[in-house]
Amino acid sequence: MIDASRIITEALVQSGADVFIGYPITPSNLFYSCSKERFPEFLAGPDEISVLQWMCGYSAAGKIPVTATSFPGLALMAETLNMVYMMELPMVLVIVQRLGPSTGSATTGAQGDLKFLDGIISGGFPLPIFSPSNFKDAWTLSNEAVKTAVKFRTPVIILTSKELVMTQKSFDINSLEPLQKIDRTPKPFEPPYQPYKAGEDMVPTFYPLGNDEYQARFNASTHDNDGLIRKGTPESLANTWRLREKLEKRIDEYAFYELDSEDGATNLIVTWGVTADASRDAVNSLRSKGEKVSLLIVKTLLPISQKFYDIIDSYDRVTFAEENMTGLYKEMIFGKRNNPKVKTATKFATMLTPSEIEEIAK
Amino acid sequence: METAEKILIDTKMPFCPGCGHGVCVRSVSKSLELLGYGPKDVALVSDIGCSGLVDPLFATHTIHGLHGRSPALGVGVALGLNNPHKKVIVIQGDGGATIGLQHILEAARRNIDMTLVVINNLLYGMTGGQMSGLSTNEFKAYKHSDDDAEPYDVVNLAHQSGAALSVRVNDISNFTNVLNEAISTPGFSLVELSSLCTSHGMKKISEMKNFIVDEEKYTNERPIGISLKRETSSLLKHVKILETQFSSSINDSIGVVIAGSAGGGIQSAAKLLAQAGMLAGLHATMKGEYPITVGTGFSVAEVILSKNPINFTGLENPSVVIAVTDDGWNKVKNRITNTSKVFIDSKISTEKVYETKDFLKVGGKKGAILCAVSHWINESGVFPIEALLKVVEDSKYAESLHKAIHSAEELREVVYSYVPKKKN
Repeated sequence: MIDASRIITEALVQSGADVFIGYPITPSNLFYSCSKERFPEFLAGPDEISVLQWMCGYSAAGKIPVTATSFPGLALMAETLNMVYMMELPMVLVIVQRLGPSTGSATTGAQGDLKFLDGIISGGFPLPIFSPSNFKDAWTLSNEAVKTAVKFRTPVIILTSKELVMTQKSFDINSLEPLQKIDRTPKPFEPPYQPYKAGEDMVPTFYPLGNDEYQARFNASTHDNDGLIRKGTPESLANTWRLREKLEKRIDEYAFYELDSEDGATNLIVTWGVTADASRDAVNSLRSKGEKVSLLIVKTLLPISQKFYDIIDSYDRVTFAEENMTGLYKEMIFGKRNNPKVKTATKFATMLTPSEIEEIAK
Repeated sequence: METAEKILIDTKMPFCPGCGHGVCVRSVSKSLELLGYGPKDVALVSDIGCSGLVDPLFATHTIHGLHGRSPALGVGVALGLNNPHKKVIVIQGDGGATIGLQHILEAARRNIDMTLVVINNLLYGMTGGQMSGLSTNEFKAYKHSDDDAEPYDVVNLAHQSGAALSVRVNDISNFTNVLNEAISTPGFSLVELSSLCTSHGMKKISEMKNFIVDEEKYTNERPIGISLKRETSSLLKHVKILETQFSSSINDSIGVVIAGSAGGGIQSAAKLLAQAGMLAGLHATMKGEYPITVGTGFSVAEVILSKNPINFTGLENPSVVIAVTDDGWNKVKNRITNTSKVFIDSKISTEKVYETKDFLKVGGKKGAILCAVSHWINESGVFPIEALLKVVEDSKYAESLHKAIHSAEELREVVYSYVPKKKN
């Protein structure tokens, strides 16, 4: 038996993550203890702000840091997460959702942090958010998280929930393919080296602080290609604009999803994270009763790929299954306004069950 | 280490005319040059505020962060570099020093190898000259501030937290000498430099002596804080592989709720049941629920055993409910459905009639739940009890676990109890 905390931790280390820096918070504590056992380097920070600041230092020095926390910790990290984003520092944050608001119920799962993460970067900039739906995803998406963090020089969120990371399950660990460390060799660039000058791929070449070849500069404020504060210059504003473009224009390089499409179905269930397994059962049950239904499990929640819009638009009826009050992913696709073709199967404070999804989606 | 390369790119300071920050910046760069550091040997961490304008002046590596967080950022850089030939210098003002005071104390407590330069001009310059936590009472009176709280002594605080060196310097002619000592000191050093804000403070440096705190210097002899790196092995290696050795009569799936009190081995018993199911060729899930205060109150676990792979791990209608204490029973009794099979200890008070057994009496406080689980396995015949016995074989508590499992054999006679609700 194993849980997703162990699987994600192991996958991150095999993918080349160097250090775990954390502050314990329920229900992410298993990551803390597993990481203490597995990461080549482990640091216990005195608070979540320090944790993310230390991670920035490690990342700027060329390492790949990881942390795990829940909403109260994430909220403390919000300012520094913006700094990470602006400095373009690769790292991975595992967020284990629990019931809010505020400290809520620490040991109750939820899927309530998606919209907070959607707006967490001031200005509406997109942050890559991966959401594993099962143990297999936990393995592969953790690898993709490190890969995406390095490739795009960005923080990446792995958004999980208490039930996924704490529930033990029989699982064939031999089905997990060994992972390779992500290559961190700096990309070629057109001289002279400028820390924030990007080529066609929109991602600047990374040289760490302390390297002996080029002067490295990192900057949390609006900056030019040299990494120096410049207010309102075309170059500095283009540099900031690029942060959005590099992630949105290349979204299909990391837009992960699972589409279980049934021929002739006009009815689609859309889900993510911990509710995916209940949705899988609901779809199996509906099909056993002769209903034609398809299932879209979204694994890259943000930015939203055009592919997902296209899939959703190709169905007459869509049911969003989520463990929150109003359907947060639904609201990101369709807004808060009622839409006759859209329904939500939602649940507050307990897991959404297959029969509840089935009832709404049938 | 490189030599003879200039640390300062630009000697034209970006500060207001007469501002003391220029002297501080020149002193830092001069000290680094005197000590033989080349630009690429230094990572300069800057903060927000007037002191945060220094990046373009330096030919070193630079990282410009958030207000007050630069000492924490510096800790990450220093530990991440982990290189005694690379020097981390953090520069912040008195505003930064108070907003992120915890970061300074933590860096000092860990004695991280870095030098923090706190440029104290007694006020928040960039936002209009407001008082800071390092503003002295004399200065606050001069500025007609009604705040009379004593200022922080950040030098002494750093010392008390364990800094290798912490020092305040007011004499600008001594800045470079003190910085030389600080930068050369292994571990965490803090240097508070007095600075003049000509826009919001006073116009002449000669006036400052009336408003500043006396110089002080402290040292601690402590090892440098480092982050240890270790060899580790795969977490997957520790996962117990359970091959099918027994058969099961379960054709679909069943959900078992196990309940008791903290310290009663509830979570362990649930895991053993799930593992025994796996030995019997079943798929299994196990999850626990208990108060945040894990040492008291209820402890509940859910186990699903299924012939087919399990997707949804929630348990809507438990097939079996086993409870050995009132704590556990009160937590789960509302989950019982008409089809649930219930096994509870005879000491539990119930309003309805359920089959009860003396699990606590025969299994003991620690073994009651495993006794009850074993009793259910025996009664239901879901799989041979040998699967459970096998799964505990390698446990360091194998003897007591075996004893608890065998204790279920004593439970032959069914006893029914009904405790009427007390009348008020």
